[in-house]
Amino acid sequence: MLKDKKIRVLIAKPGLDGHDRGAKYVAKALADHGMEVIYTGIRQTPESIANTALQEDVDIVGLSCLSGAHNSLFPKVVEELKNKKAGDIVVFGGGVIPKDDIPFLKKAGISEVFTPGTPIRTITSFIYKALNIETAPAEQFIKKLDHIGVAVTSLDEGIKLYAEGMGLALGGVEEVPEQKVKVAFFKVGDTNIELLEPTSPDSPVAKFMEKNQGPGIHHVAYEVTNIEKALEAAKARGMRLIDEKPRTGAHGKKIAFLHPASTMKVLTEYCQSC
Amino acid sequence: MLKMSKNELKNQYQHWFEKVYKKSIDKFPERCKTFKTPSGAEVNPIYTPLDNDFDYLEKLGLPGEYPFTRGVQPNMYRGRFWTMRQYAGFGNAEESNKRYKYLLAQGQTGLSIAFDLPTQIGYDSDHSLASGEVGKVGVAIDTLADMETLFAGIPLNKVSTSMTINAPASVLLAMYIAVGEKQGVARKDLEGTIQNDILKEYIARGTYIFPPKPSLRLITDIFDFCTREVPKWNTISISGYHIREAGSTAAQEVGFTLADAICYVEAALKKGLKLDEFAARLSFFFNAHNDILEEVAKFRAARRLWAKIMRDRFGAKEKKSMMLRFHTQTAGSTLTAQQPDNNIMRVAYQALASVLGGTQSLHTNSRDEALALPTEHSVTIALRTQQILAYESGAADQVDPLAGSYYIEAATDRIEKEAMEYIEKIDQMGGMTAAIEAGYVQKNIQEASYNYMQSIEKNERVIVGVNKFEAKEETPIPLLRVDPIIEKNQTEKLNKVKASRNNDKVKASLKVLQNAASGSDNLMPHIIDCVKEYASLGEICDTLRGVFGEYKENVVI
Repeated sequence: MLKDKKIRVLIAKPGLDGHDRGAKYVAKALADHGMEVIYTGIRQTPESIANTALQEDVDIVGLSCLSGAHNSLFPKVVEELKNKKAGDIVVFGGGVIPKDDIPFLKKAGISEVFTPGTPIRTITSFIYKALNIETAPAEQFIKKLDHIGVAVTSLDEGIKLYAEGMGLALGGVEEVPEQKVKVAFFKVGDTNIELLEPTSPDSPVAKFMEKNQGPGIHHVAYEVTNIEKALEAAKARGMRLIDEKPRTGAHGKKIAFLHPASTMKVLTEYCQSC
Repeated sequence: MLKMSKNELKNQYQHWFEKVYKKSIDKFPERCKTFKTPSGAEVNPIYTPLDNDFDYLEKLGLPGEYPFTRGVQPNMYRGRFWTMRQYAGFGNAEESNKRYKYLLAQGQTGLSIAFDLPTQIGYDSDHSLASGEVGKVGVAIDTLADMETLFAGIPLNKVSTSMTINAPASVLLAMYIAVGEKQGVARKDLEGTIQNDILKEYIARGTYIFPPKPSLRLITDIFDFCTREVPKWNTISISGYHIREAGSTAAQEVGFTLADAICYVEAALKKGLKLDEFAARLSFFFNAHNDILEEVAKFRAARRLWAKIMRDRFGAKEKKSMMLRFHTQTAGSTLTAQQPDNNIMRVAYQALASVLGGTQSLHTNSRDEALALPTEHSVTIALRTQQILAYESGAADQVDPLAGSYYIEAATDRIEKEAMEYIEKIDQMGGMTAAIEAGYVQKNIQEASYNYMQSIEKNERVIVGVNKFEAKEETPIPLLRVDPIIEKNQTEKLNKVKASRNNDKVKASLKVLQNAASGSDNLMPHIIDCVKEYASLGEICDTLRGVFGEYKENVVI
């Protein structure tokens, strides 16, 4: 699928169930992720859902049911789509659905079933995967490794080690009040080492050292060509962002952090020079 | 009374806030930048007399007295506990009858009937749209024969029965009356409630059939009929529960529910009913959500605001007309599919809030309801939760025990004020039906719902077991399954009834109903005639659909 085309999603409520909070939430959240979402409203028959899916030319259909009628209704939607020669449209479902029913539904052609409490990023990453979507690869935005951030208890001692011990040239020292840190830079070839000393006990770096039981590698930062787009792409792929919007970091750069929970525990920063 | 002047307190408070409190949080930062209730209301670290504009008699009064902030009875649960009423019903009438008898044997004090969706939307079990839904979320009722089975061996003069039925409420009430007659119980001795609240169906719950105007006629027909014939019946249960479940805030729950109530009162007055004759039979239904103190304040605010509306806006004279009596159910939407046993604790705290808030009856949800309908074992735990609260916790021994708490009174004031603002806005739009048609109410609820969900997604709000303290392996718990054979059996039973009844009489009774619906007769007596001939729910509703038309949802995202 082309990366520039917006994904079209139909969120539908088959059957007589009136619980539409979840369906409406998913519809709005997917729209916020940049997808084109059509919501049918309640009390749709499987046939009317299939018709709408065709008319609206959607890529994927999400069904919601909380009345317990899923085993009867969901497979019927898949059948109707097949009858209309639209079996390529991916169908997924959600609602109050016992775990034991999920294998049956999957066998009947429901690609995935999401039960209450599912985070929206789980659904978005499913959709991208199910549609084989080549979203703009992250590498496209990343220019180079900008720096590695190292947390230290004392900037003076850190500078001593890197300047005298390793013979690197100190690029400068700067305070970033927003992050409650003092920073020292050393140029290493095309990239940098950034030493971070907390200026207050509630600085994120102080908290990191508390958890880490001392100094250590704090984060990895990549320079990107377009930080807003890079964040959008990361989010669309289901990654969690600490900063939804870039803010100002050292050197007046635009920076934003990705959550370590979705980057295999490595706190990751995107930055862009202004 | 306060010995210290307010000015002195103000000075001391400011000094404390700047020099003591702020200094302390500089050193030891708080867990969150701002603390917010699930409704998004910011909560201060402390409340003092400065937050209460306190005229005790005007704002609180005494229990059983206007404005009923402290409760509708003088001694509340010191006389009788709230009614413990578990909403139940599934499969066919035989199975549900068994569950009711079980619950009564366990010490439950009232019945609460859950109907399946086809019944709630006025379709018989053999209708094509009923496919897959028969007996799923409640019991399937097609004809009086099912209702007779449902209450077999349960004397209707010994129980009070609440029925969650809205669009076809007249039909189910008619069937209940007919079963009573067969048991030899007079109409005047029947006790119970029908939900009968169509406005919140348009807003949040979705089991509507007819458009607003004929729906309001059916509702006020019931008011009129019951005032004369079934005087102990609660003719409506005006429900904020589903509005809250759809994601509203606490203040929206109160504001939109009372705005619905205003619409019903106005419709009844327009019909020529006398306020103090029907108003005492109006009852309410609220949600008990997670935030204990905000919920207590909500119940109190609702009582006070309703009393004012009835007295000052409508000129009620009778005390009973001003009392907001309500049923409470714990919040189903707060239950998690992950670690279902955690739900037992959630429900217990929610139940505590409803009792501290002065509820008249209570349903406690079961731990497995995010997964399926509850099993008998889970329902028993839920009922025991109420019994422990009643007999062991001490919470029931004192009337409105949180009154006078600076925070509770400030929160009560806040919710009352915000709710009133919604009511005023709806008045400006031309009343509740206009506000629903404009999508105003739905939109407000959806925004609140979206904000709440986002706060969970962003980990700003912790839900134990969902975004913190997750468990890798979950112990499965046994779930209740409704046998799919029920749909077939129910259809067969319906066919049998249709074959054995006097079909000419059925047709004739439906014809009379059709004519009456086109005119302005009270429809209740005609509907009773139909059900006694074993006309089915679907046939009766189809007759009315033919005259009234059907409502079409205004999809708002």
